[in-house]
Parts: sequence; C-alpha cells; structure tokens
Amino acid sequence: MEKETEESKEYDVIIVGAGFAGPVAAVKCARAGLKTLMLERSARVGEKVISGLTIPFHGFLFGPDFIREGNPPIERPVDGIINYIIRDIDSCDIEIDDSLRIPKPFSPVIAFGYNAYCRPFCEWEAQMAVNAGCELRTSTTVADVIKEDGKVAGVITEDGERIRARIVIDAEGSQGLVAVKAGVREKYPPEVISLADVYDYEMSKEDVDTVLGHTLRFCWAWDEENLAPPLGYGNGLMVWPYRRSVHFCQDQCLSLGEGRVSNLRKAFLEYHRNITTKLPWWRDEVQPRVKLRAHMWETFEIFVGLDKRLRNMPSCTDGMILIGDAAGLEGTELCDGVPAAWFSADIAADVAIEALFSNDTSKEFLKRYEERVRDHPMIQWSISGTNRYNLRFAQDLHDFEELKKYVHRGWGLACFTHVSTPLLKMILRFIREDPMIIDSWIRMFFRYYYNWVYERYDQRDFADRKGVNSAMKGTFSSFLFKSFIRGFAITLRFFSPFIRFAARVLEPVCVVANPLMGLLLPFFKGFLNFWAKLEPLTSRISDVSVELIKWSDPRIFERP
Amino acid sequence: MGVLALEMFPDEVPGVDWIGVTGDFVRVIDEKCDGCACCVRVCLGECFEIHDKKARVRSLARCMECAACWYVCPKEAIIFNWPQGGTGFRTDWG
Ligand SMILES: Cc1cc2nc3c(=O)[nH]c(=O)nc-3n(C[C@H](O)[C@H](O)[C@H](O)COP(=O)(O)OP(=O)(O)OC[C@H]3O[C@@H](n4cnc5c(N)ncnc54)[C@H](O)[C@@H]3O)c2cc1C
Ligand code: SF4
Ligand code: SF4
Repeated sequence: MEKETEESKEYDVIIVGAGFAGPVAAVKCARAGLKTLMLERSARVGEKVISGLTIPFHGFLFGPDFIREGNPPIERPVDGIINYIIRDIDSCDIEIDDSLRIPKPFSPVIAFGYNAYCRPFCEWEAQMAVNAGCELRTSTTVADVIKEDGKVAGVITEDGERIRARIVIDAEGSQGLVAVKAGVREKYPPEVISLADVYDYEMSKEDVDTVLGHTLRFCWAWDEENLAPPLGYGNGLMVWPYRRSVHFCQDQCLSLGEGRVSNLRKAFLEYHRNITTKLPWWRDEVQPRVKLRAHMWETFEIFVGLDKRLRNMPSCTDGMILIGDAAGLEGTELCDGVPAAWFSADIAADVAIEALFSNDTSKEFLKRYEERVRDHPMIQWSISGTNRYNLRFAQDLHDFEELKKYVHRGWGLACFTHVSTPLLKMILRFIREDPMIIDSWIRMFFRYYYNWVYERYDQRDFADRKGVNSAMKGTFSSFLFKSFIRGFAITLRFFSPFIRFAARVLEPVCVVANPLMGLLLPFFKGFLNFWAKLEPLTSRISDVSVELIKWSDPRIFERP
Repeated sequence: MGVLALEMFPDEVPGVDWIGVTGDFVRVIDEKCDGCACCVRVCLGECFEIHDKKARVRSLARCMECAACWYVCPKEAIIFNWPQGGTGFRTDWG
C-alpha cells in the first residue's frame, strides 16, 4: 500500500498521537526550536480519547510548566474518595472508608486532583503545542515507521506517505500498534488489559454540588453481588462528579488467566442494572436526577508494571521513544495514567533534544530516557502499586477484613504508607532545583479554583472578573491575595539558599517517610478525627476563602 | 444474544457518532480462527458473530476501536488496524 510519493519534508521530531502525552512532548520540542510535527488519527483532537478522569494533583505539581501555569479546561476539583465496601447489597450491608480526604479548610481549593473531559483537555494541550510552533496534522493515521539500516527514520501514513524525522516519539496510547509493528515492544497479553464500560450522565450543577460534592465514589463488592465487576481480578466501579454531569466507569480484566474470557457484555449489562437499581445512594439520590448522555467503552492497561517481563520491555529503539500508555506507564492502582504520560513525555522531549544536539539518536543514547523513567519516583510508584491486584486474594479467601485492608491501603489513608517517600522525594527534588516552585504551586491551586468557578479557560471566551459583584469586595480580596502572594514570594526568595540546603539534606532521608507513616498512622488518624471535630469552624474558613477567591482578580494568580 | 443486544442498545449508542467510510479495519483470518467466540464475548459493540464455527465481522457500525477482540483472540486470528484517519467513532464525553 506504499505509494510512490516524494519524501515530503524532513522534521526533527515526529510525534504520533495527540492524546495526553503527545502534546506535552511537542511543546517542549517546539520551544527548543526543533521542527516538530504531531500526527493524530482523529479529525478533532481528543475525540477518540475515552477515560475517567481524575488527573491527580501530582501530575500538575511535577508535570509540565505550561499546564501548571496555564488554564486548562477542568470539570471539577476533587477532594478525596469515598469507598463503599459492599458485603450484601440486598440487606444494605455496606461499610464506608472515606479516610482519604483533604480536610477543611484546605478543601476544595487545595485539591486531590481535577476531573476533566478528554476532548477539551487534549485539544487545549494540542493548541498549546501549536502555539509553541509545532505543526499538527489531524485525520492522519500512522501505519508504520520508515526503517533504514534497522533505524527508525520517520513514519509512513495509511496513505503511504513517508514523512522523515530524525526522531519519532510514539504517544499512540495503550494498544501500541505502531510500537509493536516497529518491533520496539510486544503486544500486551489480555491479563493486563481491562475493558472499561463508561457512562456519562447529565445532572444539574446544583444537584452534583449537593449529592456528590467534590468527592469520588468507588465501590467494591464480592462476585456474587453482581454489582461491581468481580473483585477477584482487581476491578471496580468508579463514579466521578463533573461540573454538570456524572461520569461512571466499571471495568474488568479481559482475561482471568488460563485463557478464560468471560462474557463481559452480559456481565456489564447486569452490573449496570444492579448498580443503578440497588446501590442505595445511586438509586435514591443520583438516579432520579440524571439523564443518560453517553455510553462508551475502551481498553486500558492495568497491571503492566507488575509483570517483570512486560515491565522490562524496551521503550526505545534507534530513532524512536515510546511515552505514556504506549510505554506501559498506566498506574496499577488508581488507573491514573495521565501523570506518568506527562512525566514521560517531558523526559522523552529532554532526551530527544539532547540526542539531536549531540547528533546521536542511537538506542544506546536514547536509553537514558529509560533510565530517567526508572529513576522517577512517582512514575515508579504509580506502576508498581499492588493493592488493586491483591484484592483478588481477599476475594479468593472471601475475607472481608483483608478486603478492607487493601481498599484502605489503596484508596484510603493508609496509602501514605507507600506514597509518602516518592511524593516527598519529588517535592524535595523540585524545591532543590528552584524553591520558587512552591509559589507556582500555591498560585495554581487558587487559579484553578477560580477558573473552575467561572469556567475561565484559555482559548475560550469568558467574561473576565464576572465574579466581582462589588468593586469594594474585589479591591479588598485582590489586595489581600496580592499581599499574601507577594509576601510569600519575597519570603521564599529570601530564604531560598536555606530552603535549597534543607531540601538537599532531607532528600536522602525521605526513604524513612513510608515506614514512619506506617508507625504514625494511628496518631495521624487520631489527629484527623480531632480536626474533623473543628468542622464548623474549618468549614466557615473554607467558605470565606472560597468567597474571597471568587471576588479576586485572577491575574494575581498568574505567573508574575 | 439477540435479546441481550436489544437490552443494551435500545436504539443506538448515545453520545457517540460514527463518521465516514472506515474500511475493513477489523478482520478475521478464517484459517487461524477456531471459533472459540472469545471475541464475541468481549465485544460490547456486537461486531462479531459465529458462523459455521468461525468468527466473522458482522458490522463495524458500533465499533469503539477498543481492540478488546484483538487482545483476547488466542489464535492471533484477528487483524486489527485503525480506521481511515478522520473516520470511525467520535465522542465529546470521553
Ligand atoms: C476508562 C478509563 C479511565 C481512566 N481513568 C483515569 C484517571 O482517572 N486518571 C488518570 O490519570 N488516567 C486515567 N486513565 C488513563 C489515561 O486515560 C491514559 O493513561 C492517558 O490517556 C494516556 O495518555 P497517552 O497520551 O499515552 O495516550 P492517549 O491519551 O490514549 O492518546 C493517544 C492518541 O494517539 C492517537 N493515535 C493512536 N494511534 C495513532 C496512530 N497510529 N496515528 C495517529 N494517531 C494515533 C489516538 O487517537 C489518541 O488521540 C483512564 C483510562 C481509561 C480507559
Ligand atoms: S475493537 Fe472493540 S468494539 Fe471494535 S470489534 Fe473489537 S472488541 Fe468490538
Ligand atoms: S477469538 Fe479469535 S479464534 Fe476465537 S472466535 Fe474470535 S477470531 Fe476466532
């Protein structure tokens, strides 16, 4: 099917796929002055990306600066997770674990993550890449790579057009058709692939605010309940509150090992019916207020990081680097692939730039990408969590205490026994590099909240400062925030050398954070219980700060 | 199976559009297929049917390009490609 076309242009970098990862690599390459082309098979960017989606806070804190400093379209800030652990649905024997919550007064401004629809979010990212000078071609499917002397030298589109590039960054997502064809990695086996059955329901904003608020809801049940897909193979039901809608996903591994493939169509249909008619909060509070808007399904990789052989599969070859889901970097616990997609895209762009400037795109050189991914504490944490996987043993034993234990470790407060060290390591790395990052983080949380309230996003018209309902209030709150942010920045700058030094000293020590959290967890819980008792006061403070943010001038929260 | 399909898709798949002439991007290689029906069981779009102990693509009109069929086929009998650029499913609600 290769057409005899003249080899059109030559690019420095070609990026395959404009999902979450591709545009991040594109922005960095284009900003470095490289001639960059991004190819996307859909007609409009993001319209073929199906996801959850809560992008956890660490993606924003440690991800690309154009996202942290930008105004991407978000659907709702998230303040934590409520887990429903279901023993018997008919007698409503359900236990709740809602220990993973950002406490007031920090919530909902300081968020656990942000919910988003993929189409507008990926489109926003791609526009940022175009603004940075990247060329974007949609409706173009990459069918294969050009190989010269065993080295990748560009891509071949479905129409046979050959487009040459010095380096190809593959951000095509989990199926990895191009990566498999190019011989970089194998096709993943069905045991590590989960099929997600996704529904989107319209609901008025007021109803989402009062019924679901800012909290994700996860459900875990025994097989016999026919409610959430069988836990035995690490699956669940997740409900995300969006701005004016509720997103719902049930997922199930494609194969249960030994080649057993169950009738997922039948199972999903039954579960969906049972959830919507039996689960008390859905049946009574959500169902009467929603209208089904969309039904979609998509596969995603779930346990790639837990399989040693798959994990050690290469993610680069001569002239080509895989990033995001294409490289198997989907999380094993929260199914949160976006942060790792962003981090790996950032790293790949750095390595591509270094490779092109050193005129060496050999596999040996590009291996530094793999090394940096292996050295990234948050990527490694997210692809190696075992709690969701271990739920299968609780299921086999039918042991409710075990089940609760893994849920608590995976999506409850006890996650701090495994996330504290990598999180602290990243925080200290960033602070050591530039203490002023703390200022960016704080401004980001404030700005994102403001943006959420007023739907203030880049590339979209909005009445700036329409929230300022009185000039007095606006001046007052703007003055307050300006003083706070300026004061904080000045203090930070003043203590910079000391903060840098402290970060350097603390970095090696933070390996003790996980075991320490293990020991301190009971005290931590006790403290949070005490803190919860202050709720009337902390809620009031939270309400006031939210009001102040609403009255402010959002430019205060932008990069100075 | 027919009854099940009616239950799942009363009319159509809401919130998703299918565009253009996609081409036969999912195909079954007859010689390799042993009729195990794994593809039929995982395809939420009801794209496959078993005919004479072999799977065949019934219609790709509700294919969400998820590749589940390609992953589960134990005989590597499914050829899976993307549809022609700019065609196939699209949604605003993913
Ligand atoms: C149901 C579900 C729920 C999820 N929930 C979460 C969550 O809550 N939080 C989270 O962080 N992550 C979540 N994820 C994971 C997240 O969606 C992925 O990790 C993320 O999309 C990966 O980004 P990517 O850029 O690597 O791939 P993708 O976002 O999949 O992008 C790939 C892009 O490449 C294009 N493409 C593919 N092949 C070609 C080709 N040959 N030529 C041209 N273009 C091509 C595609 O059209 C697409 O636009 C979820 C995933 C699913 C399926
Ligand atoms: S890609 Fe998915 S929807 Fe399409 S035929 Fe295969 S299993 Fe069915
Ligand atoms: S899964 Fe493969 S072998 Fe089994 S029926 Fe389908 S195409 Fe044939």
